[in-house]
Amino acid sequence: MMRAEAAVPLGRARFTELSLLVWVATFAITGFVAVLATETSTFTATAVVVPVAFLALMLALHIFLVSIRFRGDQILMPIAAGLTAIGLVLVQRLASDLLLQQLSWSIIAAGAFAATIVVPRDLTALARFKWSWALLGLLLLIAPLFPVIGREINGARIWIKVGPASIEPWEAVKILLVVFFAAYLEEYREVLSHSQRRIGPFPVPPVPYLVPIVAMWVIAMLVMVFEKDMGATVLFFGIFLAMLFLATGEAFYALIGLALLIVGGIVAYQLFGHVQTRVDTWLRPFDEDLRFGTGYQLVQGLYALANGGLFGAGLGNGMPDRIPVVWSDFVFDAFAEEAGLAGALALLALYLVFLYRGMIIALRAPTMFLQLLAAGLSFIIALQTLVIVGGNLRLIPLTGITLPFVAYGGSSLVTNWMLVGLLMRVSQVSSRMRGGGPE
Amino acid sequence: MTSPISSNIRSLTFALAIAFLVTSIGAAYWTVLASDQLANDPFNPRLIAATNGRPRGAIVDRNGTPIATSERTDSGFARSYKDRTLAQVVGYASSKFGLSGVEAAYAESLIGQDPADPVSIWRARYLGDRSPAGQVVLGIDLKIQKAAADALGGRKGAIVALDPRTGAILASVSVPSYDANQVVDPAKQDAAFDQLNHDAGRPLLNRVSQGLYPPGSIFKVVTGAAALESGFDPTKKLRVDDPYQADKSWGDYFVRSSSHAHGLFDMSDGFRLSENIYFAQVGLQIGAAKLTDYARRFGIGSTPSLDLAAAKGQLSDSGSIERPTLLADTSYGQGELLVSPLQMALVYAAIANGGVMPTAHYATEVRDAEGHVVRQIAPGPVGQIISPATAKTLTTMLVGAVAGPGAFAFGAKIPGVDVAGKTGTAENRPGEAPHGWFVGFAPAVNPTVVVAVIVENAADGGVAAAPLGGAVMRAALGK
Repeated sequence: MMRAEAAVPLGRARFTELSLLVWVATFAITGFVAVLATETSTFTATAVVVPVAFLALMLALHIFLVSIRFRGDQILMPIAAGLTAIGLVLVQRLASDLLLQQLSWSIIAAGAFAATIVVPRDLTALARFKWSWALLGLLLLIAPLFPVIGREINGARIWIKVGPASIEPWEAVKILLVVFFAAYLEEYREVLSHSQRRIGPFPVPPVPYLVPIVAMWVIAMLVMVFEKDMGATVLFFGIFLAMLFLATGEAFYALIGLALLIVGGIVAYQLFGHVQTRVDTWLRPFDEDLRFGTGYQLVQGLYALANGGLFGAGLGNGMPDRIPVVWSDFVFDAFAEEAGLAGALALLALYLVFLYRGMIIALRAPTMFLQLLAAGLSFIIALQTLVIVGGNLRLIPLTGITLPFVAYGGSSLVTNWMLVGLLMRVSQVSSRMRGGGPE
Repeated sequence: MTSPISSNIRSLTFALAIAFLVTSIGAAYWTVLASDQLANDPFNPRLIAATNGRPRGAIVDRNGTPIATSERTDSGFARSYKDRTLAQVVGYASSKFGLSGVEAAYAESLIGQDPADPVSIWRARYLGDRSPAGQVVLGIDLKIQKAAADALGGRKGAIVALDPRTGAILASVSVPSYDANQVVDPAKQDAAFDQLNHDAGRPLLNRVSQGLYPPGSIFKVVTGAAALESGFDPTKKLRVDDPYQADKSWGDYFVRSSSHAHGLFDMSDGFRLSENIYFAQVGLQIGAAKLTDYARRFGIGSTPSLDLAAAKGQLSDSGSIERPTLLADTSYGQGELLVSPLQMALVYAAIANGGVMPTAHYATEVRDAEGHVVRQIAPGPVGQIISPATAKTLTTMLVGAVAGPGAFAFGAKIPGVDVAGKTGTAENRPGEAPHGWFVGFAPAVNPTVVVAVIVENAADGGVAAAPLGGAVMRAALGK
């Protein structure tokens, strides 16, 4: 399909992207109309202005990409736009007073995306400053622990206050981490994967290279203990393990890491109340002492899912608003209630397509740094989706990770759009090398 | 594609795709497979919200008098509960705290989706087209209910009356009670619910089916039935000398007679004068296996089938009787026995009903909005527990226990009607006044009503409870 399009005389146009955006527009408009048509939502000017403004914004991004003759991927941007549109429809449905705020964040996110497309002149140059990224990442990671700027929200100390807004620095850290690991591992992968020493069938990396593994584990555990956020811990360590596996191909490293994480989790369960509560709530949310306490949110989410059935209650016809903080923690359950299993699977499919596109970009990337970068960034979106959806579905303990693009929240939306920008930049590099048109 | 890490990228993608597959299966599980069970969970607010903007079905007594209705307010419909004495039975439908009682047990029927009407369920689920609310008819007769509530007054305890032929519950009082209107009033519900949950008197508990007490002498019918069916001769006189012990191995343990009796007793005397030492000896003669067998047949130690929550009780802490002293104590209703008033009403219902124990139920019918019967609730009997002959013999002795010379249960007499019944004074924790029991039925031939009464910490024990039973039976018989 891509090659056929490249052969079209107007090789600089981005037809695939434009036609996919038409689908996004169709969804956004029907979604807003459906929500407005139900009694649960009040008709306001905002409800009309927001979808129109958002679609204009996406069209502007498309025109911008065409005008700078951008020759990268055409699928990722419409997927991100579609997911953001679902997010806006759900904010209108669940917390309409937050709608304007979420639109503002979309505008900032679009700006950040455009900046990512234009600003770094040479992506490979990112690798040169890897230690700076690592230092910046660490600083951002521990920033919420400092008094004055640090904020604790819903029991997790992962926020800092900047001006009027609370932002989650963690969101930026995840991208910095991937950039750093991509650069670091590209440099050292030979040593890590061709270790001479073995214990039985297991490769043992030389001591200097064990250090980062242990260091990362320690940092992850500290995050869990001091910032009280299991989601960030899992994501942080997950990214590290995935990157290590991508670079070395040693599943053994990943398994060791996973074992360390589980051991750490068990110890934390014994030692720390907040971890224990999370796990107990996951194991038996329907218990009398939990269903009106810490299990309330999860149980209400499960009721919402049960009401979904195959085809859902219809937008605006369910009762997902019974779930506390539904717009940030439980959007998946809310969507599944009103769009049913069919809608839930379609939503998961969008993330899966995103993952495949991202990994194809990684496979086609010309240098190992870019390959690791693209694969790592795609992995972030997939892992985040799996962890929060798995938590919503009670497959794993619930964590405070946001559903990428869809859940209400500014920091997450902005960084995820930057992530899309970076992925598209990587795809642009490969298409330049091959001298083709836009993909 | 020639890069050394390409295969790693593919493996990672594959692993993630598998994880997405598992997640999708999880989504299918909750939205489709587990859906029915969760949709009908009494705490699911959707069951209540289904009636937002439309009335929830009424709960009425057997004569159609409303007990719970939905009334129009400025913001939709609000539930209104008419009878405080039925609070634990009817329950509440709160958008905040979920459902309880009949409101929970018949939640689907009350929103027009009775399980006996699959078309309305299908229409509601797939077309969003809900049938008008149905109506749940209870076996409760408000006239008998009022007599029972008045009889108990403010005393802690419970009264249950049921029809031994069908198992339909005619009256059900549990004190202390509460005002369910407060639980559904958005302005008061938080304080009210919190207070109810912390009240030491446990007003939310339906003492009729969930309250567990030692039965005392009312349990003697079980020992009597076991003895009669094991070929024990009820006319045989046994020597009673207070205090009693079977042999020296009992050490300083004795069975005491409440009337410090010395003399010869047959089974009729045993029932009439409620002689513990007589029944202790009967129990020791027939043995633990027989007594355990009959206690189990009568449903002691198992949860009775009921359309509301019911407690299980126990024959003993371990579930069986190993020691002779425990056998002696259990035979006259003490030991480690625990029963609910409903369980004892059912034991006597079996005796009243020629040995056939009925299945208890609060609701009798579900009707649709037009008043057509959608579902009859008439669970079949539990089974033939004892022979008709044994039932007849026991009935005769229980009539003597009410009307015979010196009978303890004299307070339950009704002029012109033969009443069968038994009092019990159940010993409690040391230092606490004993609970007073009365269980009985009337008329003695072809009985139509069984009543069980418990008055917690009654100073006069069973003697205090018997007149309450009489008053309720009078109301039921229209005397």
